Amino acid sequence: MKSNGLAIGLGVLGVVFLIVAALYALGVLQFLASTSGPHYKHAILFVVLAVASFVAANFARPKGTIYMTDPRR
Amino acid sequence: MGLLQGATELFPVSSLGHAVLIPSLLHWSFKQSDPSFLPFLVLLHIGTATALLVLYRQEWVALIRGFVTAAIRGQIQTDTERLSMLLLVGTIPAAILGVFLESKIKTLFASPSVAAVFLVVNGVLMIGFELLRRRAERRSAVMASSRVEQEEHFAQAERISFRAAAVVGACQALAFLPGISRSGVTIGGGLLAGLRHEEAARFSFLLATPTILGAGLVEVPQLFAGGVPVGEYLAGAVLSGIAAYASARFLLRYFRSGRLDPYGVYCVGAGLVSLALLHFNV
Repeated sequence: MKSNGLAIGLGVLGVVFLIVAALYALGVLQFLASTSGPHYKHAILFVVLAVASFVAANFARPKGTIYMTDPRR
Repeated sequence: MGLLQGATELFPVSSLGHAVLIPSLLHWSFKQSDPSFLPFLVLLHIGTATALLVLYRQEWVALIRGFVTAAIRGQIQTDTERLSMLLLVGTIPAAILGVFLESKIKTLFASPSVAAVFLVVNGVLMIGFELLRRRAERRSAVMASSRVEQEEHFAQAERISFRAAAVVGACQALAFLPGISRSGVTIGGGLLAGLRHEEAARFSFLLATPTILGAGLVEVPQLFAGGVPVGEYLAGAVLSGIAAYASARFLLRYFRSGRLDPYGVYCVGAGLVSLALLHFNV
């Protein structure tokens, strides 16, 4: 299942995960956390999710044919 | 405790269940609510994960290289690359459930009686996995002169589907319940996905390494809190690593022809005996 739309969507998701990771690491985000303050465990999880999203985006990207010469000629 | 943790973490008999049950049954003076208990557990887990890293050191180098290559290329071309992606897919559900649910579940169920009940459940699960496997062997009409030959009709870890890897990974979350074994449910999941016993154990150990190591490393700052006897705890971690290494080597050899059900029977028996001892306050 390869499409540019899916690849872009996964790339955007990766960026969102990175932002969430930063918010957890800075202690701004407290969602589903048992204590207040920085949550490094949550931050690391979201970095891993971001990496997985970028990898998935690269897999979803249609691989174009590389032409050695202009194909229209 | 180090030897106990290292051995039971990889045997399909639940390390958490034994860590809750044995100190209680033997009247050891461990207080799990003590602030220095968490750093102790952290070091024991790091010891276990280090043993697994040492055991699979060459494979991990190849897996990391394969992961980077496949991620950049955007395509899987080799078995190693496929296995590295399967491990990522299997680790994510366990990591999500671990970060958000682990401490809540552990606090909720951390009593010796509950651990004993779940140990029985773990045993029933192991026996159930083997019953389903035997049915699969009969269905596929596997005729072989020996168990080793019979096992060869099943797949290697690299051939498991991505969906199955995610399900097996998510099953690791069941091990937050004291008495349910992480390696037991992942090996059982691997068997249901059509892996050989030895390959299911290999996949389980590879899957456990980043989870156990990650869970341990994020708690390392706790070690530098005041009043933690780091020297004694390090000795426990080394013992845990040695026990884990020996257990993994034994289990990989055992599963060339062995099955899960002896461990299932042990868990049912140990759970019932523990329940009786706890009930009569022996």
